[in-house]
Amino acid sequence: MSVPDYMQCAEDHQTLLVVVQPVGIVSEENFFRIYKRICSVSQISVRDSQRVLYIRYRHHYPPENNEWGDFQTHRKVVGLITITDCFSAKDWPQTFEKFHVQKEIYGSTLYDSRLFVFGLQGEIVEQPRTDVAFYPNYEDCQTVEKRIEDFIESLFIVLESKRLDRATDKSGDKIPLLCVPFEKKDFVGLDTDSSPVSVLLGVKRHYKKRCQGRMRKHVGDLCLQAGMLQDSLVHYHMSVELLRSVNDFLWLGAALEGLCSASVIYHYPGGTGGKSGARRFQGSALPAEAANRHRPGAQEVLIDPGALTTNGINPDTSTEIGRAKNCLSPEDIIDKYKEAISYYSKYKNAGVIELEACIKAVRVLAIQKRSMEASEFLQNAVYINLRQLSEEEKIQRYSVLSELYELIGFHRKSAFFKRVAAMQCVAPSIAEPGWRACYKLLLETLPGYSLSLDPKDFSRGTHRGWAAVQMRLLHELVYASRRMGNPALSVRHLSFLLQTMLDFLSDQEKKDVTQSLENYTSKCPGTMEPIALPGGLTLPPVPFTKLPIVRHVKLLNLPASLRPHKMKSLLGQNVSTKSPFIYSPIIAHNRGEERNKKIDFQWVQGDVCEVQLMVYNPMPFELRVENMGLLTSGVEFESLPAALSLPAESGLYPVTLVGVPQTTGTITVNGYHTTVFGVFSDCLLDNLPGIKTSGSTVEVIPALPRLQISTSLPRSAHSLQPSSGDEISTNVSVQLYNGESQQLIIKLENIGMEPLEKLEVTSKVLTTKEKLYGDFLSWKLEETLAQFPLQPGKVATFTINIKVKLDFSCQENLLQDLSDDGISVSGFPLSSPFRQVVRPRVEGKPVNPPESNKAGDYSHVKTLEAILNFKYSGGPGHTEGYYRNLSLGLHIEVEPSVFFTRVSTLPATSTRQCHLLLDVFNSTEHELTISTRSSEALILHAGECQRMAIQVDKFNFESFPESPGEKGQFANPKQLEEERREARGLEIHTKLGICWRIISFSGGHLGLGAPLLRVLTSKKDP
Amino acid sequence: MAVCIAVIAKENYPLYIRSTPTENELKFHYMVHTSLDVVDEKISAMGKALVDQRELYLGLLYPTEDYKVYGYVTNSKVKFVMVVDSSNTALRDNEIRSMFRKLHNSYTDVMCNPFYNPGDRIQSRWALLPVSASSPGGPYFLCPIQSRWALLPVSVSSPGGPYFLCPIQSRWALLLCPIQSSRAFDNMVTSMMIQVC
Repeated sequence: MSVPDYMQCAEDHQTLLVVVQPVGIVSEENFFRIYKRICSVSQISVRDSQRVLYIRYRHHYPPENNEWGDFQTHRKVVGLITITDCFSAKDWPQTFEKFHVQKEIYGSTLYDSRLFVFGLQGEIVEQPRTDVAFYPNYEDCQTVEKRIEDFIESLFIVLESKRLDRATDKSGDKIPLLCVPFEKKDFVGLDTDSSPVSVLLGVKRHYKKRCQGRMRKHVGDLCLQAGMLQDSLVHYHMSVELLRSVNDFLWLGAALEGLCSASVIYHYPGGTGGKSGARRFQGSALPAEAANRHRPGAQEVLIDPGALTTNGINPDTSTEIGRAKNCLSPEDIIDKYKEAISYYSKYKNAGVIELEACIKAVRVLAIQKRSMEASEFLQNAVYINLRQLSEEEKIQRYSVLSELYELIGFHRKSAFFKRVAAMQCVAPSIAEPGWRACYKLLLETLPGYSLSLDPKDFSRGTHRGWAAVQMRLLHELVYASRRMGNPALSVRHLSFLLQTMLDFLSDQEKKDVTQSLENYTSKCPGTMEPIALPGGLTLPPVPFTKLPIVRHVKLLNLPASLRPHKMKSLLGQNVSTKSPFIYSPIIAHNRGEERNKKIDFQWVQGDVCEVQLMVYNPMPFELRVENMGLLTSGVEFESLPAALSLPAESGLYPVTLVGVPQTTGTITVNGYHTTVFGVFSDCLLDNLPGIKTSGSTVEVIPALPRLQISTSLPRSAHSLQPSSGDEISTNVSVQLYNGESQQLIIKLENIGMEPLEKLEVTSKVLTTKEKLYGDFLSWKLEETLAQFPLQPGKVATFTINIKVKLDFSCQENLLQDLSDDGISVSGFPLSSPFRQVVRPRVEGKPVNPPESNKAGDYSHVKTLEAILNFKYSGGPGHTEGYYRNLSLGLHIEVEPSVFFTRVSTLPATSTRQCHLLLDVFNSTEHELTISTRSSEALILHAGECQRMAIQVDKFNFESFPESPGEKGQFANPKQLEEERREARGLEIHTKLGICWRIISFSGGHLGLGAPLLRVLTSKKDP
Repeated sequence: MAVCIAVIAKENYPLYIRSTPTENELKFHYMVHTSLDVVDEKISAMGKALVDQRELYLGLLYPTEDYKVYGYVTNSKVKFVMVVDSSNTALRDNEIRSMFRKLHNSYTDVMCNPFYNPGDRIQSRWALLPVSASSPGGPYFLCPIQSRWALLPVSVSSPGGPYFLCPIQSRWALLLCPIQSSRAFDNMVTSMMIQVC
């Protein structure tokens, strides 16, 4: 015997083997339909006794196994059922002939046989035959079950007669020697009776015992099959004793195994064979119902009182006593199995028997939950060397080993053998490798390697399981799925390998894996769709959250010039309505879900928004990430994907992802999508471990216009640092001489999509130590507003007048009374010290330290800085009460123009008038003219100082109206005095109207500042 | 004499595995991996025994055609598995037992190393750290993972190989510990593998 039945279990010993086979051409579908119905009759209560018959059906059984039927009767084919199609009467003889041929194959052992003919009608059908049943077609055959039951009953009759025949054999009769096939040649010529001379008495007795022992064992088998468990136990016991005394090891093993089988059947009525046992159990639960359905007349038989009293309950108590004695205890069963197997192992030809015994023992041990011992049996089974197995048999063998290991809870071992079986499916010696089967088997090994194909199981905590073997398995899955011709599957598995095993891959392996992944994806890109496998398993998508690894996600505010602000008048809306308190510590310390926390800035519909990610590339080579964009919800969002290339094993690398919200509302950034190595990934932030985020929800407010400012002035290199938080978007600078004024033309362009409706302009002069006189910046907004609303793309202009009037006195102590020294003539050149003072500035180098100190004061370029704020709004954002703020920084460098070095008054001819004497110094490098209201221009060359006399009317400051009253009330006396002076200075300025003009280009008004005023006041009033 | 030695974490993943015929390493991976079934079974069987009475040595896990696989489990459920050539019949159970005990001691040394995170693979990477000898205050080495160890002075001259001194503010207050505990473990395994009985 060479073909092991790996599905065997101990209770199969009590079954009768019936082979069901098709004859001629029968479609597989039809055959198995009938086969299934036949199989449902697996258990029959014999009519006139309590005994139950069990039938084992096979549709394929190797005849050489049948030859071992004497050794263990359950291996003997006792029944044959053939199924055939026959449509015409003339085919009938031929069909019947085939049936006979079929019968010949198992002829020596058959008790009975049946032929089921489908499709034939006519006179042949009319003749009643016991061995042939006719059915018109495969649907109309209700009596199949009934026929089978009759058939089994006829089998039982034969079995029973054989049993009785053998059991009553007396020792006086000649008992034939039962043999297994390989023994037959050993006993040829050993006929003990025919050669009485040469045979010693001992040998003869020995031989006789052997015959008896074997026969006892055989009867035991028959009893077991016939449902007489107790009798079989007794026979087995006797047989064991007989055979042990003659050292007939093979048969002793069989007797022991029979003893074990009978005991197992007694101890475990549920069966040990797993599924088949369950089926049997189920079958026994409803035999009456099943019988009633198929056999209307059966009920009478079942309730026949005579049957119950005569055979139903056995009154003989002696068998009850024997029951406990003869049956093996669960521990003994295993010991006896061990013994039996050790005997079998002495015979090379009994390998299959040994293997099957091992399997049966393992099943028993699995029920007893004795895994360690079971594993020893299995270990033994692994090393049983059968003849050269075919590839298919090898696969079957490994699969069964795997199943048995699974049964005893050795999942890893089970996975190991299943994997070996899978590899066997595609062994190079197989002409047509079964990649599909290999793949299916490999999938089944996953639990044994504690590997799930869901990447989520790997995202949290440390890696589970044995990476080296898991990786190997994944590689095999990839390869198998590729050879199966399912590139999508191999891409999915390869992605999974890369994602989950990244930490365990060497640099070279990383390169290899990505290279093959790229090869696969070039034909079939990786998707985010789950892949459903035929086995009902679904492969979830594998997002590459580690390629690149994202460490930090930050939503960025809009640039300062585009940030929306809430109008103050609408402030009421901003205050949270949840609490009546303006501030509550409970709210302040409320630690909500950080990720869901709303960020306290807004994005604007239609404007580009940015999210910054800090990413890094764990690969030892450059990583190209394509199509990287944001995944959002809540608001219609147009993501503008980016492509990036990260250097090998980069550190944290900032990446900015942008997009445009198309509607308003609350937007949540859920994650990002990438395409890496041709695999699309949607990475959700929730699933990323160790990510830092400062909130991912932001409000999107309605669209606002965008204003762009361009000016006539050049841009400034240095930006202003305003005290408050707002930033300056543009800086311009201009260079002016003191007293000069200039128009600044600002072009306002609406570069947004919404009309610009509102504009407010404010200015702020940054604190400077220089004192400013007069209006520094002045504008008329009305002209500009007349062009509003400004449609998108339109330009408006806005003009600002810049006037710089700083102090014209070069230094307070220099403003001396002219009367104090001798110089008193108008037009006189200045005394030499002044010239010398000027020179160093021109030469750019001070001559001597004390003088250069003074020179620094009036040659110094002074700086003025101001910020122009443009508040603007329009479109839907305006109705919601939002505006934007744009700031223009103004940087003015004021160069000194002219200075009054000395001031004095002289009485004029008229008492109502006086002469104002001024020493004017031109500190520029240009020739300029000084003019007043009354006198003609005075020409001053560069660096020249001249005295001019102006005749003015005397006036009294006291007559001068005070500045508006309210102001004075709040200010302190010092401020009041300051203000008053300023007002007087202005008065003097308007009276005198002193102007300078650089002949070559510009002109400016001179304002006489406070120091001059002091001189004047001290002179005039006394 | 041992063909393969493996240390397996409580969660059944390898902390350390080394085998002598390096060309067929995966074979031993499978062998050790499947032996865990038996280890699990044995542990669950002796679960009832009191902890202090428990025998750590598990004995022969299973024999294969060419090898014998032995097991040992610590009280913290870290497993040691040793694969021995089955042709080596001279090897007694007691010798296997003492080898496991040595292995356990060596493993304890590894665990004492404050740089070793329990659950990490046992690798002697510390010995490979760049040592900048030129820095003032003696040679230092840079510790890559935990920033709190940033720079540690190494006193190379001490007897018994280089030691490092940990900063005082840490919980390892003042602890002298050989840097090469993992290396020592590795050497230990090597000696077990080449030793001829």
